[in-house]
Amino acid sequence: MRRAAFIAAAAAVAAACAWGVLQLWDTSVPGGLDLDTRAAAATFDAAAREDAERFEAVMRWLFVASQAALVAALVVYARRGVRLFQRESAAGPIGTGFLLGMMGLALVWLVQLPFGLVEIWWTRRNDALEVGYVEYVVGDFFGLAGEALFLCLLLLVVMALARLLRSAWWLPGVAVLAGLAALAAWLTPYLIVELEKPPAGIAADARPLAAKQGVEGVPVRIEDVHEYTEQPNAYAAGLGESRRVVLWNTLSEDFPRREVRSVLSHEFGHLQHDHIAKGIGWFAIFALPAALIVTLVTRRRGGLGEPAAVPLALLVLVVLQLAASPLTSAGSRRYEAEADWAALEATRDPRAMVALHHRFTEEALSDPDPPGWFHTLFDSHPSGAERVAMARAWRERSRSR
Amino acid sequence: MDYLTIAPEKPAQLFERPPLTPRDQVRTVNRDDLHRSRLSVLFRLFMAIPHVVWLLIWGAGMAMLSPVLWVAALVAGRPPEALRELYAMLVRYALHVHAFLFLAAEPFPGFLGRKPYPVDLDVPPPGPQNRWSIAFRLLLALPALALTGYLISFGAGGGSSSTSGDTPSTAGVSAGLVVTAAFLAWFFALWRARMPQGLRDLIVWALWYAAQAWAYVFLVTGRYPNSDPAIAPLSPLPAHPVRLRITDRLRRNRWTVAFRLVLTMPHIVWLGLWSVLMVPLAIVLWLLTLVLGRTPDPLHRFAAAYVRYASHVYAFANLGAGPFPGFVGAVGTYPVDVEFAAPEPQGRWTVLLRLLVALPALALSSAIGGAASIGAVGSWFYSLVTGRAPEGLRNVVAFSTRYGAQTYGYLLFVTGRYPYGGPSDFRR
Repeated sequence: MRRAAFIAAAAAVAAACAWGVLQLWDTSVPGGLDLDTRAAAATFDAAAREDAERFEAVMRWLFVASQAALVAALVVYARRGVRLFQRESAAGPIGTGFLLGMMGLALVWLVQLPFGLVEIWWTRRNDALEVGYVEYVVGDFFGLAGEALFLCLLLLVVMALARLLRSAWWLPGVAVLAGLAALAAWLTPYLIVELEKPPAGIAADARPLAAKQGVEGVPVRIEDVHEYTEQPNAYAAGLGESRRVVLWNTLSEDFPRREVRSVLSHEFGHLQHDHIAKGIGWFAIFALPAALIVTLVTRRRGGLGEPAAVPLALLVLVVLQLAASPLTSAGSRRYEAEADWAALEATRDPRAMVALHHRFTEEALSDPDPPGWFHTLFDSHPSGAERVAMARAWRERSRSR
Repeated sequence: MDYLTIAPEKPAQLFERPPLTPRDQVRTVNRDDLHRSRLSVLFRLFMAIPHVVWLLIWGAGMAMLSPVLWVAALVAGRPPEALRELYAMLVRYALHVHAFLFLAAEPFPGFLGRKPYPVDLDVPPPGPQNRWSIAFRLLLALPALALTGYLISFGAGGGSSSTSGDTPSTAGVSAGLVVTAAFLAWFFALWRARMPQGLRDLIVWALWYAAQAWAYVFLVTGRYPNSDPAIAPLSPLPAHPVRLRITDRLRRNRWTVAFRLVLTMPHIVWLGLWSVLMVPLAIVLWLLTLVLGRTPDPLHRFAAAYVRYASHVYAFANLGAGPFPGFVGAVGTYPVDVEFAAPEPQGRWTVLLRLLVALPALALSSAIGGAASIGAVGSWFYSLVTGRAPEGLRNVVAFSTRYGAQTYGYLLFVTGRYPYGGPSDFRR
């Protein structure tokens, strides 16, 4: 009877997830575009491309090694963590779960720290970062404190529901977690402090673009990052009234106006197509089967209501996240492509986009044509070559219209 | 031999007890009877001027001589007897002067540190010292000097180094422990012609630690300073409705020590939320206690749970205990626990003026907390290396926890008894 109920639940979850993926997969980028990435890659300066490839190759292997170390550390922790730390708690089951969760996080931080330091060394060596080693470690440690708080909130929701509803916790649990994710997305722009108003030129460019893309009134802000890095970047954040577009001043001050317009329009594109809300949808789609699997795997340790299950749950979650990475990365790349397309439609300036991505390769050492395996497994953005190819495809298409 | 002066009702009685300290430990003798002359208290700072000047001159001269002492001790494996005597006299004199200046003792001290004094130094007999320890003495003494600096610092305007930061919010934060205690005691002594026993003991304890640190730096002894109030010459802890109960065995898990700051984060957030709730509740408690003359049982339990939880978190954060605390402040769940007596009738005048009356205790609590925080830094390194907390520093944190619980218990009407400032041994 229980087996049948489980099979029914699993089938229902699989069907719901498949339906959700189909809904979220679709974008406004026209099908059948001729994306000649090989030709697009050839447009990049050969020397700059070589530098970027050399730089990113090391970063890629560091990432892969750090992920392997992460899994290995969590395997050890899942086996020994309970014995090591459960007796160090005078708290109740949920409090002990906090302790075990935070110690797992601390262990992961410690294991990943050497990789982070090598990454800093490599980035500094290539003049892409200004952060010092001590500053990095201290900053990362305080970041760990913030992550610990987030994990405790997560464990509070999950363990309290699991203690209340036993193995049926996962359905309401995912709903609560998705709600919290939405709340976090809404709050994020208010938590980013020290943002400045943009210069008059950028503000003047932003207004008509926002109006054209249906997101008028969304404020643009500038974040001063010169102290830490010279890398250019921008992002869109928030939901509803809290929506913002933020440009790093490494981009707003140092890039030509046309290219800044292209970036602005790309970020407006994310908001235009509700990518942040859809991201929460992706989270729910991932969380639903993940919660079910974690529930099943942790049954032998008394279920997620028991602190002894926490180290194992951490391991399972990380493994599932890695396993789902090809799908989530593909979804993210599709949204980035959609934002690019929206920018091309709004600015009607494919040259600016091409120049922008050439500049990213030259100044930010972004590899325009990364190895396929890594791109498929982990890249959240289309490659530089793909983006240039899209700009060229848009130009061809607009000529023929 | 240790001496304990007990309650002021029996000022002359001296207690002896089996020695708890190693033979080479610098010990302090406390024969003070708590009586003070109002006139002497009023002009204490003025009267101490010649002693302070003489101490500075003598101290500077001995500091210049110290390289000779250091080289001679390094060669012989022990300091030369005559020089050691001279430095022991200086340390003893410094103790007398500080005890006089900070109201821990009454008589005007002699200028050579030879005459017996109510708060006096019992210098251990000379003996060989480890040459490595002599070679790196100044470096080794740095943590003890940091704590000493805080204990007897005068703050931003004073001559001693202050490790307490420069936040001007309370006297405790800006002025160091002994100065804060002496400042508060000055008013009391002027009013009652008597030193409050708790503050006197607090000052004696701090000066005893400082004397140990100076004696260690000047090679009078090779024994590292011990901050444990249990081996200081203090009066027994009087009965109080807010008591500390310690079952901690000093064992520490190195991992949870290493990440103590991170592990404390959820507790800080939860304590913050609970504290926000306690602000309006304190007003309700104030009004009800004022009307009823005692705190209603359910609110007493709730406020006691809050104070107990805050104490658990404080002890955990400062390495006063090992385990991760629970989130509800349950009784008997933590190795450094606070016990509260049942609610008692409280004087309505003290209830009416509770916030005002509690201000000195809050300042002192902050000052004691500063000492505990400095101790916690030392304790962190020690525990990380050895997997055990140093008992002396643990007991400083325990004292701070107890005083904090009594202060906040008083402020939140859990008890009507004023906090006791003496760091006496709570295990006796």
